[in-house]
Amino acid sequence: MPRRFLHGLGLAATTALLMAGTAHAESLTVYWNAGHAYDAYAKVIAEFEADNPGWTVQWERFQWPDMRTKLVADFAVGNTPDLVAEPGGWVQEFAQQGLLERLDAYIEADGSEMGYPEDWQDFSVSRNMLDDSYYGVQIHLTCATLVYNTDLLAEAGFDAPPTTWEEFREVAMATSTNGRFGFAPNPVTSYYWPWLFQNGAEFYDPETNTVGFDSPEAAEALQFVSDLIHDDKAAPLPVAGADYEGPQKLFTAGRAAMIITGPWDVTPIQTGNPDLNWAIAPSLTNKTQATQAGGVSLMIPAAAKNKDMAWELLRRFVSLEAELEASLANGMTMPRKSWAEHPDVQADEILGKFGACLSYARDITAEIRLTGKSAQVGELLEAAVDEIIYNDQPAQDVLSRYAQEANRMLAE
Amino acid sequence: MLRSTTWRQRQALLAYALLLPGIAYFALYFFYPIVIEFWASLFRGQPLIGNAQFAGFANYTTALSDAMVQRSFLITLVYAVGTTALTLAVGLGLASVLSGPVRANTAVRAVIFFPYIISFVIVALMWKSLLDPYTGILNSALVALGLPTQNWLGTPSTALWTMILISVWKDVGYAMLIYIAAIQGIPAQLYEAASIDGAKPHQMFLRITLPLLAPTTLFLAVISMISQLQEIAAPYLLTGGGPANATRLFSMHVFETAFERLDIGYASALSFMMFIVILIVTFIQFKVLNREVVY
Repeated sequence: MPRRFLHGLGLAATTALLMAGTAHAESLTVYWNAGHAYDAYAKVIAEFEADNPGWTVQWERFQWPDMRTKLVADFAVGNTPDLVAEPGGWVQEFAQQGLLERLDAYIEADGSEMGYPEDWQDFSVSRNMLDDSYYGVQIHLTCATLVYNTDLLAEAGFDAPPTTWEEFREVAMATSTNGRFGFAPNPVTSYYWPWLFQNGAEFYDPETNTVGFDSPEAAEALQFVSDLIHDDKAAPLPVAGADYEGPQKLFTAGRAAMIITGPWDVTPIQTGNPDLNWAIAPSLTNKTQATQAGGVSLMIPAAAKNKDMAWELLRRFVSLEAELEASLANGMTMPRKSWAEHPDVQADEILGKFGACLSYARDITAEIRLTGKSAQVGELLEAAVDEIIYNDQPAQDVLSRYAQEANRMLAE
Repeated sequence: MLRSTTWRQRQALLAYALLLPGIAYFALYFFYPIVIEFWASLFRGQPLIGNAQFAGFANYTTALSDAMVQRSFLITLVYAVGTTALTLAVGLGLASVLSGPVRANTAVRAVIFFPYIISFVIVALMWKSLLDPYTGILNSALVALGLPTQNWLGTPSTALWTMILISVWKDVGYAMLIYIAAIQGIPAQLYEAASIDGAKPHQMFLRITLPLLAPTTLFLAVISMISQLQEIAAPYLLTGGGPANATRLFSMHVFETAFERLDIGYASALSFMMFIVILIVTFIQFKVLNREVVY
């Protein structure tokens, strides 16, 4: 009996010791994009862990579609991460469902110290708000523009990149020789928006609650790209799939003279082919000079277990120091005005050129997101673009048909 | 008698006790989700995660007239029937040859079976690389032969059949092995008797081998159809459902409806409808193929 008692006591003591040992071992789960796992952010996490003994950060990295699948499943079972990076559009979408933490109180307490929202580009703040409340903070702010192979253009007799659609077509046709393409279009629909915006097209009119992608301007823009592929033979049919890296790979291999891309492709091009001579040009102009804006925001799920610590880490990720370190090393553009004005950024050729596009970049779904039907309408536009590009169907007919369906959906 | 009944009861209790973990597992991980899915299918919006309104069977009636649903269902039928028929036909052909005295047949069987055990992620990466219209080895071969390059996965008219052929390539080894085992189980006397009666090899194949393989064919057809009707890895990894929705299988459509559009109620209804379709298809297969053959 005494032996049994001693065994029991020993077991209880061991359990108590184990529990005491783990009582302060707290963990913060962060979902991040695999392509953005920069050393600068690893350093931020290391400093956070050092400043908060007992806390570790589970830095889980995904491709965007996989992260969304996991996050939606997490929401369904109520077991969410503490901090999530998102590729644009998710903040308002999930906030509408009551799934995100309102950040007003945090911003009221810390906003002036961190410079939020005054130091952020205006549209990078509004895209993270819903009903006058803050639900996310922008960490990257990007835009896509023309990237070209200087050698291939020079070989074809061009010493400067095209600035208009006419010039672009001329250069694309002239550089399409020897198994190379003048332009490599992307299969992902958002990459067609620079063309649409440059021709004055709009996605959505909030006053009439109708889509604008069936306008003659939109049709003309998509027909222009389709004709480059099917009539001019100056561009290949994009390889189908959700992978946006195809054109970058062709460009890096020297098989495409021009692509439209953003800062996210800088590192793959530089590391994939260090000998490639390439440059960044301002976005093209047709009726106007324009391109689409993108970027990443950070948000805290409403069901997160460690909201205060998540905010603390968020603050560190979006600090000017972290922005400068991440951007200078990786060519990523950032939302802070003070970042854009920083001498190191202005001296950097790549950052400077991508950064210059931010002044005329536009958020594609800014207004339609607020209807809660952005994904459904976006899916219809994607189907329409596919029909035009892959099936070589007349752009106006296809867009009119899909716009009718989109307007019916919006009216419901 | 009383003792015998008690013994039987004990046996039954023991059997249920032994089955309990299995029943609990299936109840928790299979039947409970099916019930939840059916419940979610009765709502519009985001049941399980956010805002939802009870809609009764409205999601089901909407789905029946949804052009995208109809299209993805038809594509799935073509994919499932095409993949199953080709896998079984090629598997049977290979089994017929390799069940006989062929030199190095074990090695050949192993090579043909190998793709079956590889993850589809690797299969997809490999085939995407081989079929790449600009950097793929197959197109390089076409160029070397002076032929035009092909964008097999990027052209709407060829993408679905390319995906079917890749799936057949992956699965055919399994069908072949099962058929070989079944062929080797057919009594040799049947062939000897047929031979004495003057039957030709193709007659023996059609009159003996094929009918006696009916249970095996039923098994393979049912398993393959159930699997192909639910297929998502192939379009997700090879084409993303494109180009122009040419490879948008039903499961892919359900997945995107749920996780991209966040229309979880509607996606649940679509999913439940596919569950019923699979039940019906399986029932028809049993009715058509499950004919006992005895000689």
